[in-house]
Amino acid sequence: MKAVGAICLILGASGFGWHLASLWKQRLALLGSLRQLVYFLKGEILYSHATLAEGLSQAGRKGGGPFGELFLEAARRLEQRDGTPFSQIWQEEAGKVKNLPLAKEDWEKLEALGSSLGYLDISMQERTILLYLEQLDETIRFLKEHSRERCRLYMSLGVMGGLFLTIALL
Amino acid sequence: MDKKEEILRLFPGKLREILGQVPGNFEDIQEIRLRAGRPLLLVKGNEEFFLSLSGKPVTAIDRAVSITASQIRETVEYMGSYSLYAFEEEVRRGFLTLQGGHRVGLAGQAVLESRPGAGYGQIKTLKYISFLNVRIAHEKKGCASKLLPLLQDSGKIQSTLFISPPRCGKTTILRDLIRLVSDGGPSFSGMTVGVVDERSELGACCQGIPQNDLGMRTDVLDCCPKADGMMMLIKTMAPQVVAVDEIGSEEDFRAIEYARSCGCRLLATVHGDSIEDLKEKPILKRLVEEKTFSRYVVLGNLPLPGTVLQVYGRDQSLLYGNPAEKRTEKRPAGRISL
Repeated sequence: MKAVGAICLILGASGFGWHLASLWKQRLALLGSLRQLVYFLKGEILYSHATLAEGLSQAGRKGGGPFGELFLEAARRLEQRDGTPFSQIWQEEAGKVKNLPLAKEDWEKLEALGSSLGYLDISMQERTILLYLEQLDETIRFLKEHSRERCRLYMSLGVMGGLFLTIALL
Repeated sequence: MDKKEEILRLFPGKLREILGQVPGNFEDIQEIRLRAGRPLLLVKGNEEFFLSLSGKPVTAIDRAVSITASQIRETVEYMGSYSLYAFEEEVRRGFLTLQGGHRVGLAGQAVLESRPGAGYGQIKTLKYISFLNVRIAHEKKGCASKLLPLLQDSGKIQSTLFISPPRCGKTTILRDLIRLVSDGGPSFSGMTVGVVDERSELGACCQGIPQNDLGMRTDVLDCCPKADGMMMLIKTMAPQVVAVDEIGSEEDFRAIEYARSCGCRLLATVHGDSIEDLKEKPILKRLVEEKTFSRYVVLGNLPLPGTVLQVYGRDQSLLYGNPAEKRTEKRPAGRISL
């Protein structure tokens, strides 16, 4: 019985470590897809002079995924013209995908993008988007650079933590 | 969607709430005027009135709701779908065309492009936009039907110039005439019409598709300067009839001459009171003297906008109406009524 309990504990703790490592990878993949969507949006705005609704809709359709849904939904609500300001629409729609494994700072930056998009002229849009892309690139670079060590760390900590708990409980 | 709902969708939050409480269906509202620090004004028929906070029409200015600068800013951003960067050219020219063909006139502080050694250049954009004039589009199908026979000769539409002061229905009648000429009828066949819609008032194009019915044989060049657009359409789309709104510049005149030399019929509008009024303006005088148009239609706004006062022929002979009649009443200053 004790042996079964010990195995479960070790497996559970290792699984938790594996889960943390997988969250790290998922965050990296999500930010990568978000970056691609923002590049699409940049293209739509800068080269086609698309409105935010058109740009978000085109980018969302091309990019797909959970952020593609966010873009499409924000575009749909903008076109619906229900009187809600865009920054509020963006915040509300971003709130709907907050179950995704991103860090608090990622959400803050994403929400900040919504409050500055559409302001002033085309060069301002370019600067806003480029600033956001730069921030995204920095985060992605950090995640990539530390991906291997962090994943190893989480996995090892999981296994070691499991063993430690097993020993302590025995 | 009824007219009221369509118009309410143009406005954000608080303003939508106030306008939503205005009684009536908005069918006869012509303008909604917003000025920073001034009362919200509605122009209905030929009269104007203020609105209270609860959307009730009021005569006392102290009970009228006042518009703030931030409300105007919010409204402009909202009307531009938070994408004013995509409407830079329109803002530079002082207007926005909204879904449904409604047009918003903008005024504020002009930002000029400075050119080294040449002082100030053209208007680059508008900032501190503090005045808005929302002009409600009225598509009235069939309003030009009775006029059409007067503008035809052997079943063919003649080059026609509509003359009237603002708010007398020139654009509305021209729009319907385009539709009628394009679709044709039992006694005449439809013609290919090329429309140069510089301010998107005729077709009210949204993403290139006309929101107003301009007929089945109509091609629309949207947001294009009239003179360039006329030349382009003639070369590329081979229209039998070219239609433009509000001509007046030297370039327009040259493009009209070109269209005429290509054998196209013209349908156009111009600001003015009468043919005599046109003759006082150098460019328009040439149009009359050179008999560019075969019909001149003078419009008034009493009893209703779009009232045909006179129709003249090519040699300015009266074909319809009383030459002495002038039924264009200017809105009495300060008059408030419902």
